[in-house]
Amino acid sequence: MGKKTCWSIIICTIIVNVVMLQWTVEAHYGREYGSILLFSGISIVSAFIALLTYLQWRKIEYKK
Amino acid sequence: MTDKKKLGRNQKDTEDDMINLVDNLNREDDLKYNRRAFLKTAVGTSVALSVATIPFTVRAMLGIAEEDHERVEIAKLADLPEGESVTFYYPTEKDPALLIHTVNGDLKAYNSACTHLMCPVFYEKTQDVLLCPCHAGYFDVNNGQPKAGPPQRELPLIEIEVDNGIVYAVGRQYRHG
Repeated sequence: MGKKTCWSIIICTIIVNVVMLQWTVEAHYGREYGSILLFSGISIVSAFIALLTYLQWRKIEYKK
Repeated sequence: MTDKKKLGRNQKDTEDDMINLVDNLNREDDLKYNRRAFLKTAVGTSVALSVATIPFTVRAMLGIAEEDHERVEIAKLADLPEGESVTFYYPTEKDPALLIHTVNGDLKAYNSACTHLMCPVFYEKTQDVLLCPCHAGYFDVNNGQPKAGPPQRELPLIEIEVDNGIVYAVGRQYRHG
């Protein structure tokens, strides 16, 4: 996986998390508890992907 | 060429802005604000957005076992002619609601706090709509969905039953229609 791919994945996770936060708030107002858990779960998974991708990027970036 | 023969701006230690452009560069800023820092901030943003959803998850998990609603008497049907409405509280004393006998003869009930900024909603019988006068929000009286104005979400629907001429509230739906 190249550095550009890492950048793309991280930007994508931000987009996903912005949307998930918005949907979570809407689900909260609608008291759709199942949806809240789903959207929040997707958001957390997305954040983990961002972290793992960052570690991969760091490995490539700081390699001698 | 000696300094004396040079133009002022070209002399050693000149204060001329066009010569000292290099002063715009700051080594510390260069090290601090670069693409690496940008990517780290992006990752932090992604994680922060994710963490922001967690309080909602916790509240959802705490409220997931919401108790069943009681059957509560609202009003006698005889006391509520067509085109009139009556205020009641359901399911708790903190949840104002409106029972409406529409001009078409239907019975409808909704929580009456506007989903925009919680102002009380009234039944406007001349237009057969629910009106929030604070910011001119209109809701459809037949399904509680917003028709115009700032509200984005529907009014919570109170399920009703009519038994021996008495109207009872028996449940509530937050998202409906």
